[in-house]
Amino acid sequence: MNLNSHNSPDMYDSGIDGASTGEDTLRLIAGLPAPKGLEERVRRALRTAPRQGRVLAWPQVLRAEAAWVRATAAAAIVMVVAGGGWGVYSHIQPWHAGNAPAARVGAMGGFSGANAVRSPQTLEPPVVSPPAKSAVQSPMHKKALKKKAKVQPEQPAAQP
Amino acid sequence: MDFEDTAAASAVRQQAEEASLAALVDQYAGALYRVAFSVLRNPADAEDAVQEAFMRVLRHSGQLGEVRDHRVWLIRIVWNIVLDRKRRAKTRPETDDVADLARVLPSTGLSAEQMASAAQHHAQVLACVEQLPAKEREVLMLSAFDELSSVEISTVLGITESSVRSRLFRARNLMAGMLNHARGKARELESSSRTAETAAAAEEETR
Repeated sequence: MNLNSHNSPDMYDSGIDGASTGEDTLRLIAGLPAPKGLEERVRRALRTAPRQGRVLAWPQVLRAEAAWVRATAAAAIVMVVAGGGWGVYSHIQPWHAGNAPAARVGAMGGFSGANAVRSPQTLEPPVVSPPAKSAVQSPMHKKALKKKAKVQPEQPAAQP
Repeated sequence: MDFEDTAAASAVRQQAEEASLAALVDQYAGALYRVAFSVLRNPADAEDAVQEAFMRVLRHSGQLGEVRDHRVWLIRIVWNIVLDRKRRAKTRPETDDVADLARVLPSTGLSAEQMASAAQHHAQVLACVEQLPAKEREVLMLSAFDELSSVEISTVLGITESSVRSRLFRARNLMAGMLNHARGKARELESSSRTAETAAAAEEETR
């Protein structure tokens, strides 16, 4: 069903003619002829356009004639990838299960401590040097002590 | 050799695709141009949009066999292109000027005065169309194409047929209201200028 009011007015037509809704103008514009030679210009543009929007394309020489080159290249890529993988695998030391400590699993299951022993880090105690002892007194020292005792008078006894 | 057979088959397929694409260009380039021009209102931009649409078809030429209705499919492609361009460019269409409209739109058998008033009317209509909400505007513009049915418009816009009808109904009402308002204003301006002219003439006479 055509929607144009001048062709077949439908049930949703508001009863307003084309001129008052401006549809005559839109129809005039829609009916404008295409410029001459448009088809030819479009065809020319299509001929010069790249065929496929590819990121990587095979060279023209290798497209159809040497299709075996593609197979060879694909095989080479597979060989390189597989060889590289094998090289990495063979250089890694296999992991032995005997080296690892036995996992201790609790009675209730869950995570084990893996035989880890807790050693708390404490502060080091202060180092006290031993007191210096003068075992033998020199005679000069003894004299000096006597002299000191003479100079100091005896203190009076405390009064009751 | 197997590879050679495959290459020959692909070459034949490519030739067939090119032939079918050329046929599509011959058949629908004009219609696509008119759709593009109705939105862009600029001949060069409309032609560019048509070329871009066929470029997209070329890139997906392998899917041509799966398309049921080539005409609607192509119109949908070009419609999306022109809407995208218009959104990005935000430029004033070339035919917004009254003089350009008079040059572009057909006006055979009209006097110079009639041509000028017709161009003014068209410019007024296009200005009102631009003021419509996007959904209503799109339906109204596509409905101007005689060859598009409501089903085809719904396919192009990706909506249901009932939505097309309701939007068209709203668009027509809005346009009628806007155009009446614009005409009323124009009449007021005209009458006020006439009154001023007569007053000036009367003043001169009294002097």
